Amino acid sequence: MPTINFSLKDLQNLVGKKLTVEEVSELAEYGKGEFEGYNKEEDEVSIEFGDTNLPYLWSVEGVARLFKGILGLQKGIPKIEINKGGYKVIVDSSVSKIRPYISAFVAKGHKVDDYLIKQMVQLQEKLCESFGRRRLKVAIGVYSYDKIKFPVYYKATNPESIKFVPLEFKKEMTQQEILEEHPKGKEYAWTLEGFKKYPILVDSDDEVLSFPPIINSNFTGKVTEGEEHLFIEATGNDLEANLLAMNIMAQAFYERGFDIYSVDIDYENKKVTTPFLFKDKIKVTNDQIKSLLGLELKNAEVKRLLEKAQYDVTSNVQIPPYRKDILHPYDVVEDIGIMYGYNNIKVQELTSYTIGETYPMVRFRDKVRDLLVGLGFQEVFSPILTNKNVLYDRMNIKDFGTIELENYMSKTYSCLRTWILPILMKFLSKNKHVEYPQKMFEQGLVTVRKGDDVIDYERVAVVSANDKADYTEIRQVLDFILRSLDVDYTVEETDHDSFIPGRVGRVVVRGKKVAYIGEIDPKVLVNHELGVPVVGLELNLSDLFEVAKKERT
Amino acid sequence: MDEEKLIQTLHTYERKVLPVLSKVSILSEVAKESELQEIEAMRGLQWLENKGIVKISEEVKEIADLDVNGKEYLEKGLPERRFLNVVRKDTPLSKVVKDANLAKDEINICLGVLRGKAAISIKKGKELIVSALPQAQKLLEGESLEEIFLRRSFPVSIGDLKEEEKFAFDNLRKRKNILKIETKKIKKAVLTELGKKIISKGIKMEDTYDRLSPKMLKDGSWNDKRFRRYDVKINVPKISGGKKQHYRRFLDDVRTKFLALGFKEMEGPLVETEFWNMDALFMPQFHSARDIHDAYCVKEPKYGEVDKKILEKVKASHEIGKGTISKGWQYKFDVNKSRQLILRTHDTAMSARTLASSDLQVPGKYFQTVRCFRPDVIDASHNVEFYQTGGFVIEEGLTFRHLKGLLRMFAEEFAETDQIKITPAYFPFTEPSAELHAKHPELGWIELAGSGIFRPELVQPLVGREVPVIAWGVGLDRVAMFKMGIKDIRELFSHNLEFLRGSTII
Repeated sequence: MPTINFSLKDLQNLVGKKLTVEEVSELAEYGKGEFEGYNKEEDEVSIEFGDTNLPYLWSVEGVARLFKGILGLQKGIPKIEINKGGYKVIVDSSVSKIRPYISAFVAKGHKVDDYLIKQMVQLQEKLCESFGRRRLKVAIGVYSYDKIKFPVYYKATNPESIKFVPLEFKKEMTQQEILEEHPKGKEYAWTLEGFKKYPILVDSDDEVLSFPPIINSNFTGKVTEGEEHLFIEATGNDLEANLLAMNIMAQAFYERGFDIYSVDIDYENKKVTTPFLFKDKIKVTNDQIKSLLGLELKNAEVKRLLEKAQYDVTSNVQIPPYRKDILHPYDVVEDIGIMYGYNNIKVQELTSYTIGETYPMVRFRDKVRDLLVGLGFQEVFSPILTNKNVLYDRMNIKDFGTIELENYMSKTYSCLRTWILPILMKFLSKNKHVEYPQKMFEQGLVTVRKGDDVIDYERVAVVSANDKADYTEIRQVLDFILRSLDVDYTVEETDHDSFIPGRVGRVVVRGKKVAYIGEIDPKVLVNHELGVPVVGLELNLSDLFEVAKKERT
Repeated sequence: MDEEKLIQTLHTYERKVLPVLSKVSILSEVAKESELQEIEAMRGLQWLENKGIVKISEEVKEIADLDVNGKEYLEKGLPERRFLNVVRKDTPLSKVVKDANLAKDEINICLGVLRGKAAISIKKGKELIVSALPQAQKLLEGESLEEIFLRRSFPVSIGDLKEEEKFAFDNLRKRKNILKIETKKIKKAVLTELGKKIISKGIKMEDTYDRLSPKMLKDGSWNDKRFRRYDVKINVPKISGGKKQHYRRFLDDVRTKFLALGFKEMEGPLVETEFWNMDALFMPQFHSARDIHDAYCVKEPKYGEVDKKILEKVKASHEIGKGTISKGWQYKFDVNKSRQLILRTHDTAMSARTLASSDLQVPGKYFQTVRCFRPDVIDASHNVEFYQTGGFVIEEGLTFRHLKGLLRMFAEEFAETDQIKITPAYFPFTEPSAELHAKHPELGWIELAGSGIFRPELVQPLVGREVPVIAWGVGLDRVAMFKMGIKDIRELFSHNLEFLRGSTII
């Protein structure tokens, strides 16, 4: 979620009203923003905006616009004037499969200073990163207008054919070199993966403006303090997002004091003039307001609230051109609710009676936990993510079906646990310095892969570590649990490499194998650097529950 | 406790050591006098100290004891005496050595010492010739300070030596293997004022019982003896019993609360399809929260199964808002992406499953408390596994006002406050969306829960019609940490046994 920083003084100038930090914090809530702080020395306010579908708020101009609406300083859709510019961007069909869309405008007549450049970059970057899906959907460039000779050409070329000096670099590079060497090239190369040609933006003198969506040229693409005229463009693979990004930028520049001039985009088979102000509208009824918010509002009140939220109201609700987040009338109704004030909406209690209940399995596993606590075992609760070394290598056995993660951050947590006993062994190995006897258990989910099936089981694992730990001790625990649960069982001889041969049993209930039980093999103890004998069991509660249920019916 | 009662608490060991304390104070002597093992005497003294009857102090002392040669000389006499015994006039040294049976280094010492005391004279010829002088007889008749010193009792504290003893000690310690010197910690016990009073009352070796035995119960012998009084205020060694894990217990409490409030519990798989985790919640497939970095993807199998019918409905809702008056997200829905397997990233996945289930009850209240997973770098405040509780209430006629009612109930039940604030928020699956904040006496406003009303585009394809569904979700880790006073999020899944044994139940 983007965090926006700006000067409080600047905000006040744009709003046209003095605001305290507390007022800013409260007003930000209307835009689903969370006030993060105010740096008095730098006069800098930080607000985190939660709604990724409202990118217009990611600039101080957008925030000021919202505040003006709430404060009643401005009603309905805010004004924007677009002068006919007659500038041309000619789009070559070579980009149609790579990065088909471009929109642009020219902003003139306002001197830029350092702060303003920072604000421009902030809006540009947030739009590209979050809303623009890391530049794939939308990437924006801002240029020094005076250095450009129109028309501008947008085309795709061979990566080795053109050389130019990228922003903040000294030497000329080909597009291929930029992708391989320039930090931005490396960061965004993925957006061009698989293409043989790369997009480029050049002017009529063949001067490179930029290599979208990677980097501007150092000549035209560098805006410095004192300049007054700018050229702004957005490219991408989503036309609507592209147009919206330009509308948001144009509205912000307009409110900042620039004159906005349109640019004609010539595609091979169509012409579009941008900024293209959407004139979206939607019908919202009083019934919808009542059924969603529980508010019965008069038409005039609805109109007042909608205008506060900066919609125009005719027979329909007109949506401002910098918003594309309205899919359903409820999206507008929410804004009505916000402007009415969530805290002014009266509480209504839930009145229907329902019965609280849980799964029988939940009660079953809790009974087992209670029994083990009664036997003096300490409960352990561990991460479910672990690694194959813990599950298999250290336990002296082979992988029996593991769900591994594709994009783990650390190898330590790279798969789901398939059994719990290893987790308790790891626990013991971490607590060698603590007083013995150590008795613990963990109840929880394990996940096992069987071919293309992924199965969760509720399991419980129990260990006891002490000088005299032996099979009898752990068998008594098993016996106590199963007798208490009224389950008949038998134990069969079995082989399991985590246990001492001849001292490991398979517990069977109604033909179903539900548990391993025995003395842990010294090899496993050595793997865990343990100096005392350990006995343990692992019981499949999901299976036990199923067969135990049958037994009773 | 008055003195009489105090006397009744005294254990046999205490009764034995107490009377001797008016004579001796060093532990070894106390043990000897009271006819106890040193360890028994020490325990008796410690118990007495706990009761304020004695004061135990510890001194570091240099202790001298007889070494090998010292023990030998005590028996046979010092070499110089043995030397003098065989020396006459003009005795060759070889004869002296033979007769007195002395080692070479002992001879050298004898020659030095005796010449110093003017008891012998030495002539040098082919070999050394020794003659006894008149002083020799005198020495033989008397006893030297060194000899007296050797006969005293050992070990002895060097600090306690008298002046002549000190002189002899200094001479002997220079000689080989006569004395060995060690530093020792000496425990000493002295009676306090209370102790003196108690002694003055007289301590008898009373016939008291320490323990009640089955035999005593059987033969009735308990009847004629008294049980030694215990100091019930005494500190005892710690024990550890079986205990539920602290975080799991907290989660149990949360579940119990929801059950009591009439909510039905939901459960679902850890490994979930993107469909149930996100698509079914009307989160568009190009949404930024769906980037690969926000969910753990499963290596194999890559894909799971999703019911075709429901998949088609959700797809149409995403694409064109089919079934509602929404225009949808207006993009091409990728069915394959839907089938991708991930670890569930939030509890709401199960709400979607329940809404689509044929068991859904309307009106109905549902909840879950489940473990969720999101990739992150683990540190004191971030974990990749965390617990969320969430759920929904489904009923005809519910509005935002009921959502507020529900949130107020949560604040009262879970945070024990009615001071709440509800602010606008954004969640991709609810419209409107709201956040619940509650006022905490120390922390001020804290965020308690995210909530909202499920979008019609979500509800329609799952339930088959539009019904209001109020939904909420809460991250539990932080609440639990706050309640339990835990500062490091990793301690929720602690593998520190001492920490678990010491954890309190709240």
